[in-house]
Formats: sequence, structure tokens, C-alpha cells
Amino acid sequence: MVRNRNLVLAHLWLAFAVFALAAILGVWQMWVRSPLHAPYADPENYFRSVTAHGTAMAYVLTTLFVMGYGYFVAESSLERRLPWQGAAWAGYMLAVVGTVMAVVTVLSGNASVLYTFYPPLTGSPFYYIGLVLVVAGSWVWCAVMFVAMAQWKRENPGVAVPLAMFATVANAVMWAWTTVGVAAELLFQVIPAAFGWTETIDVGMSRTLFSWTLHAIVYFWLFPAYIAFYTMAPAAAGGRLYSETMGRLSFILLLLYSLPVGLHHLFMDPEQSTGFKFLQSFLTALVTVPTLLTVFTISASFEIAGRLNGGTGLFGWIAKLPWHRPMVLATGLAFFMLWFGGGGGLINMSYGMNAMVHNTSWVTAHFHLIFGGTVVIMYFAIAYEIWPVLVGRSPDAVNLAYQRRQLWLWAVGMMVMTLPWHWLGLNGQWRRVAHFDYSDPLIAWWGPWVVVSLIGGVMLLASAFLFVWNLLRLHARRVPAEVVPVGMRYAQPLYPILRIPAALNGFGLWNALLLLLMVAAYAWPIAQFIAYPSPGTIVHHLDRAG
Amino acid sequence: MSDIPASAENRWRAWSILAVIGAIIIGGGLGFLVVPLVQGAAGGVDAYTAICRAFGILPGSPARPTPPSQANPYPVTQVAWTEATINAIYGADRSTGAALAAQRCIACHTVEGNTPDPTIPRNAGQSRFAIYKQLHDYRSGARKNETMTPLVADLDDKAIVDLAAYYGRLVRGAIDPLRGGPFVGVEIENLVANGDIARNLPPCVSCHGVKAGGPIETPTLTSQYPQYIEAQLKAFASGERHNDIYHRMRSVASKLTPSEMQLLAIYYSGK
Repeated sequence: MVRNRNLVLAHLWLAFAVFALAAILGVWQMWVRSPLHAPYADPENYFRSVTAHGTAMAYVLTTLFVMGYGYFVAESSLERRLPWQGAAWAGYMLAVVGTVMAVVTVLSGNASVLYTFYPPLTGSPFYYIGLVLVVAGSWVWCAVMFVAMAQWKRENPGVAVPLAMFATVANAVMWAWTTVGVAAELLFQVIPAAFGWTETIDVGMSRTLFSWTLHAIVYFWLFPAYIAFYTMAPAAAGGRLYSETMGRLSFILLLLYSLPVGLHHLFMDPEQSTGFKFLQSFLTALVTVPTLLTVFTISASFEIAGRLNGGTGLFGWIAKLPWHRPMVLATGLAFFMLWFGGGGGLINMSYGMNAMVHNTSWVTAHFHLIFGGTVVIMYFAIAYEIWPVLVGRSPDAVNLAYQRRQLWLWAVGMMVMTLPWHWLGLNGQWRRVAHFDYSDPLIAWWGPWVVVSLIGGVMLLASAFLFVWNLLRLHARRVPAEVVPVGMRYAQPLYPILRIPAALNGFGLWNALLLLLMVAAYAWPIAQFIAYPSPGTIVHHLDRAG
Repeated sequence: MSDIPASAENRWRAWSILAVIGAIIIGGGLGFLVVPLVQGAAGGVDAYTAICRAFGILPGSPARPTPPSQANPYPVTQVAWTEATINAIYGADRSTGAALAAQRCIACHTVEGNTPDPTIPRNAGQSRFAIYKQLHDYRSGARKNETMTPLVADLDDKAIVDLAAYYGRLVRGAIDPLRGGPFVGVEIENLVANGDIARNLPPCVSCHGVKAGGPIETPTLTSQYPQYIEAQLKAFASGERHNDIYHRMRSVASKLTPSEMQLLAIYYSGK
């Protein structure tokens, strides 16, 4: 039973509305980069658009989606009323105000600093303050999640917290840790500089603080996809979750090894020493463990479903899976894209290979494939799965057919867009530039491949609109009352957890170990800037005359 | 639901702690001991230095950069944009600057900084930082001019700062050259807006423009005399003027044709 439907819907609709608008910008950007003549193409518009697209997709879509989905999980899996509902609405309003502030300043052209900031470049202070408000809204969400789980545990001593909620709280714990880095950067360095209170900024420190956030934030976006893999996909496939303990371990490992690893974004930076880069690179490698655990567990769960459905032989069960169900289809497509995106990620985290792809289009292509592909397609599937519960209407066969088409279009579009993009990156195509001079014979051959990426982008845009349309249709459909879904059915584990050690049912131990890891990985890399202050870099104000 | 025995709880806790500490020891051991020792030995660096560098606590590592060469540099410029310099410029006394300008500057540059002689640059509309940089360079010898050099030779830091504040009324006040200049041809406008990749020429507006990312001392070109701009481009091209850090303007100007210099000067002058 979900009581706070409006709270969840308010979050998710704002997330998806911003997503659809930002998708238009994305296509236009690829168009500008191509040899075809795009309207309004000048560098100022391009960087304005890149900033808006990145801010919308990476901060607004993700944060609001995670918050809305978290509230949904808290009510539907714990089967109790959400605590602190007033605070939850207040958090939402903070996020709305922050989003409006950020969007207005970006569109006005006063904050074309890209969503990863890049000081000493600074834009209007209200852009950063807007983002801080969005983050503050998400902190309220974290608190609500902690309280919801704590209250439930008090009422159910010794009982295992439902996996969906355990994972959601793992994400909230991680997010609380994650945002410390960027909040420190914004509050103590960038915002004072943007207001003109300080004339110089220690760029080494700001890059290091941002790296603290930069990798873990990606896992914050990824968590909903993993939650769906473990708690929704096996049920949709008609089977059982192969191992719930494996799920809990995976979420704990993601929590531990998503944070002390951010220096792998600074491999080419001079301000950090080799020892710490190596240590964090090593810890990054450990992130593959929960990923592979998940691929194994979910494949095993699907195998159970396929065999229950009459599948035989080594691979015969795959054909027997109910691929017509959007959640099953999306999981399959997400895994397919995960092989490419994850493989690319292994290259990025390897020091030597990273040097080759550094600052090339490869990196942009990589994060579009892994985030826009694997993660966002699961956002769609989650929305399709929970929307009937939220609006009290079941999809009919036509709805389902359009949902499948939308998922296919997204996956194919993402591959068409990102594979040539990767390839051009390997060939040295640089990123963060507003146009390429295709009359230069050295790079003339890039042109056709960028056009292919543009075609992929158009497919993605069509899919984005179809997605919004599909959700709207669910609101509009009239259905007889007896088929209205009343609650969310989560996947049951093959072997129910009858007793559980405290370590797998809470986060006290893991917070302590995470603190240990963070001290080992980040204490000196940050303290060095205080021990040996740099002369500072002159702040450049984008929103003031040159 | 039955309870878990305490020994099982402890086992979970102990193994978790061991696994995390083990990861730190293995990763740290490789990164701070094995790699520095092996690579240090191959590079002729002793074990202690190699390990300290891996931590970043000895010169030669990021936190403690190796000091630059002590040899006397060719005087490009000696202006360093430290926080102290910038604050001194912001805190300058314009009335002292005005009194000093009345003695030394207004005969050529006029009270408003708007000289009628096209071989003398207009100061009006420049930023404090641009004027400070040039005065400082004249004093240090980085830039030479038979009139200016003796006039600033005996000025102290405060005098330079006050003069810069007097003439530099518009703080960072470059006027956007892309809006409203005379039409001098598509090629010149393309050079201004996009540069020329074939000659490795960056666009002029990447530094000289509204919201541009150029260094703080970048002068405003808009409304400057075309004769003066052209003369400076030629001086940069020949290397006669060389107070631009990193050869920024010398590398640009040396690639321009004489007619491009002339047309760019007209474009920026607005006349």
C-alpha cells in the first residue's frame, strides 16, 4: 500500500519533465558537433546547453528520481506510513526552488561552467546555490530514509529489513557521505569566489574535493537500477531471487568501494602523488566485485525463472523468459549495455590506458553508455513497474507494446550513439569543444561518424518522448476497479532469510569501516593543501565582463 | 525468527574488518612500497626518497614541487598575480593616482585618458589590471619605450597601483568586439570569432572579449586607435615587444599577414 502517492509522483514527474527537455538539448549538441549545420550554433550557446543538459540529467533527474523512488520503496516494502511527511515535502520544495535557480542562471548564460564546475572558472553564485538547495533537499530525504528504517527495526526486532529498503538506505548512507566533498567545495571555495569575496582559489583542493563526490555520485544514480535488478526483475521474470545475502553484500560493497576511489578521476592531475593514486585505483578495482556478484545473481535468478517456465539445456532457459514484460526486457538490455560500459570503465580506471583516453570523447561516450544506457533504462522500467501502483491503473496489451518499443528504441539508440563516439575518442577526438573544423584533412573522416551518433541521439529523443507519453497514457486509462493493483510485489528469495547477523541488517559497522577507508585514501591528499598552501589561481568570473 | 549466536555476529564483524584492512594494506603496500621501490631503483632514486615521493612529502612530488631554475630569466614580465597584488589594486587610492597623473601623464594621455594622438594608446576603458601590468613592465624593463621607461623608472609599487586605479575606471571592462564594429570582411570576423586552425591561431575573442577566458591583464581593444593596435601587433610579430607571458601575443602576431594586422586594428578600433 502506498499512501503518499502524490509525494512520489511529484518527484518523479519533475524528474522526467526535466529529463525530456534536457534530451532535446543533448540532440542539438550532437548536431552542433556534427558536420551538419545546426541552428543557433555558436560556442556560447553550446556551452550554455552543455551545462543545462549536464545539470538536468546528472543532478535533477537523478536526485529527484532516487528521492521519489526511495519514498515509494519505504512505504511499499516496509508497509507502514512514511515518517516525517512534512519534512519530505519541504525537501521537495527545496529541490524545486534549487532547480529553478540553477536552470534560470544557466539559461541566462551566466553559468556556462559545465555541471562539473571547473574552477577557477566561476559563474553566477545563484547557480551553485541552486544546486546546494537540491542537495539539501536530498539530505532531508536521507534523514527520512534513516528514520523510516530505524522505526521499522524497532517495531520488528531481529527481523531482516526488506532488501529493497536495506538497499535504499545503503544509498542514503552513501549519499550523505558523498555530498560532503562537493558541499565543501561549493560552500568554502566556489561560492565565496563566485560572489567575489575571494580573488584566488586553490584549484588542486577543489578538484580533489570534487573527486570525493565524483565517483560515488555515479553509484548514487546506479543504486535504483541495482535495486530493481534484485527486487523487481526476478519477480517480473516469474522466478525467485537466487540469493538475498548476495544482494546485501553487493550493496554493502558498493557503499564501501564507491567513495575512497575518486582520485582515479585525477590520474592526469599533478597535485596528487602516485601512491594515493595507486591505492585508490586498487580500491576502484574492488568495485567490480559487487558488479560481477550482481550479474551472477540476477542471471541465476533468471535461470530459475526460465527453467520454471520449461526451459532446458545450457541456454534454452533464456528463450523461455517472459521478454514481453518491460522489466525483464529492460534488465536484459541493461546487462547487454553493462558489458560495454563496464569494460570501458575498466579501461578508465587503469592508469596507463586512462592516459590514452584522457580528455577525449571516449570519456563522454563512456558515461553516456553506462549511465544513460544501463542506469536510465532501468529508471524507465521502474517507472513502468510502479506507475500502475501509483495511479491505480494497469497497462493493457497496447500500453505494454509501446513500453517495449520505447525500451528497444532507447537501447538501440544508445548503442548507435555511443559506439562511434567511443571510437572517435580512441582516435583522439577531444571533448568539451563547441565545434570541429572538418575541413582539416586530419579529422575530416570523423564527420560521418558524428552523424551516426547524431542519428542515435535522435532515436534517444524519440524514445524519451515516447516514455513520457507512455506514462501519461497510464494516467488517462480507464480500468475496471477489480484490476487496480493495490501494492507492490517484490521478488522473494529462493531461501528466505530466517535469521540475519546485525552486520547485514544495518550500517553501523560499515560506516566505521568506510571512515577508516576514507581516512586512508583522502586524509593526506586533502590535508596537503592545508600543510603546503598553494599560491592560488585567479578566479575567472564568467558572469562579469572580461 | 531465531536469534543469531553471538559468536556468529563476532565472526561477521571480525572478517569484515579484516577484509577492509587487508584491502588497505595490499593497495597501500603496492602503491607506497613495492611500486616506488621498483620504479625508484630503476630510476636511480633511493628507497627513502622514492617512498616519500609516493606519499607526496618530498620535493619532486606534487605537494612539494621542485624549485624552478635560479638562472636569471629574460625579463618577460615580473608581475605575479597573487592575492596580495590583486587586493592592493582593489584597495588603491585614486586621488593620489590623480595627483601623480597630473604631474606625469596628462600631457600625453590627458586627464580622461583619451589622447588625440593616435600613436599613443587610450587609457580610458582599460582595466586597472591591464594598466598595472604595463606600468610594472615598463619599470622592470620588460617593455621598453623611450618616453615611458624614464617616466616610470622611479615610481614605487604604491604609485603604480594608484595610477592604475586612476585610469582603470572600468574594472575588467572589455566591450564586446563582436557587437557593433565596422565591417572589414568575413575572413577577419572569422579570425576574431574562430581563429584559424590551419595556422594554429586561436580566436581573438577567446581572450579579448566579454566573458572571455583570457588572463586578467588582457587589455580592452575596443575603441583603441587602429594605428596603435597595428603598431603593437607589428612589434609583437618582430619580437621587439616581448612582455607577453608564454609568447601569447608574439606567437599570434607573427602568423598574421600585414593586411590582417591592419584590418584587425580597424575592426577593433570601431572606426
